[in-house]
Amino acid sequence: MSIFEYNGSALVAMVGKNCFAIAADRRLGVQLQTIATDFQRIYKMHDRLFIGLSGLATDAQTLYQRLVFRHKLYQLREERDMKPETFANLVSAILYEKRFGPYFCQPVIAGLSDEDKPFICTMDSIGAKELAKDFVVAGTASESLYGACEAMYKPDLEPEELFETISQALLASVDRDCLSGWGGHVYLVTPTEIKERILKGRMD
Amino acid sequence: MTKQQANWSPYDFNGGTCVAVAGADYCVIAADTRMSTGYNILTRDYSKICKLADKSLLASSGFQADVRALQKNLEARHQIYQHQHNKQMSCPAMAQLLSNTLYYKRFFPYYAFNVLGGLDNEGKGCVFTYDAVGSYEKVGYSSQGSGSKLIMPFLDNQLKSPSPLLLPAQDAVTPLSELEAIDLVKTAFASATERDIYTGDKLEIVVLNREGIRREYMELRKD
Repeated sequence: MSIFEYNGSALVAMVGKNCFAIAADRRLGVQLQTIATDFQRIYKMHDRLFIGLSGLATDAQTLYQRLVFRHKLYQLREERDMKPETFANLVSAILYEKRFGPYFCQPVIAGLSDEDKPFICTMDSIGAKELAKDFVVAGTASESLYGACEAMYKPDLEPEELFETISQALLASVDRDCLSGWGGHVYLVTPTEIKERILKGRMD
Repeated sequence: MTKQQANWSPYDFNGGTCVAVAGADYCVIAADTRMSTGYNILTRDYSKICKLADKSLLASSGFQADVRALQKNLEARHQIYQHQHNKQMSCPAMAQLLSNTLYYKRFFPYYAFNVLGGLDNEGKGCVFTYDAVGSYEKVGYSSQGSGSKLIMPFLDNQLKSPSPLLLPAQDAVTPLSELEAIDLVKTAFASATERDIYTGDKLEIVVLNREGIRREYMELRKD
């Protein structure tokens, strides 16, 4: 079994009209055994920039610590927050540093630019970026998520519609994946506010 | 002399996706018509749906050579049944026969992933879904094959089925009308075709109801 599937995860980000949403499941497991049902895999870098890290949880946390460190250094030197595009380049570079002994993570990055333009992107474990206009997925439930998102996603959704779409897509997908689930965690980011919601889901 | 080893597999995988949805008085069975091997497309016009009896339709993906062998076997068994009983086999009976036929080859299986759709003796829609060695379940809807992982969560979302553990047992048929079910299947395949390279070209939909059998086609992406 792949090391990417050791802990199990489901991660998805979607673009709406001047907003974006990023969502993940809440399970932390060791193969088939569930360890925690309140696990966080989406991290806030600043008010309009989020990163979700699917894959091996220990590498995700280590990688997150390095990203926080680099982002703080950037804030001190530049006296401003990082743009989502810049941050994606940083993550990509940090991952590629470990080209021959990678972090076993597939990141999903979602942010709003200074002009309120949403940005989403995903990467493989060695930093090959994939920029998408609509949605990106990652984790053990990625195939189910592709199917659900492809069928449910529409462009230019308003924030509340986007929240409904991403939540339905996530919950439908994790119920067909043994390694992810146990509820969901959704961030909905608009130019004016961040809404964080916990979803209840099947507990099996 | 260098050592040689046997390097031949009796199996291939030809891809393809099958979906079936059961309603109160109808059954929709659908499959794409692409047949592939590896990155090659062998044909864009291959029917994966086989009529086994008046009220039983079988859609199969996997290894199409095995599928054809399986279909021939079932057709022969059905011929014998007709001679012995002077009637067409019912869909639930065909479901059990298919299970037995698959399990008979438990240790050299037919590499076939089947969905059997039809109407039962009361004229209600029924769907049976299988694994390669004959484990089967009666369900309200199902998807099998290369795009099943993409389609199944969408069907779950749109057609929440009652748990099979509920007592008393709940009816699994979907609440949709026939036309709604056809539309749902079309949407599901259009989505799967976007992301699954083994699904595409054309969608064949067979509708079974009181009036008989009707066939429809819808074009899918060809890339």
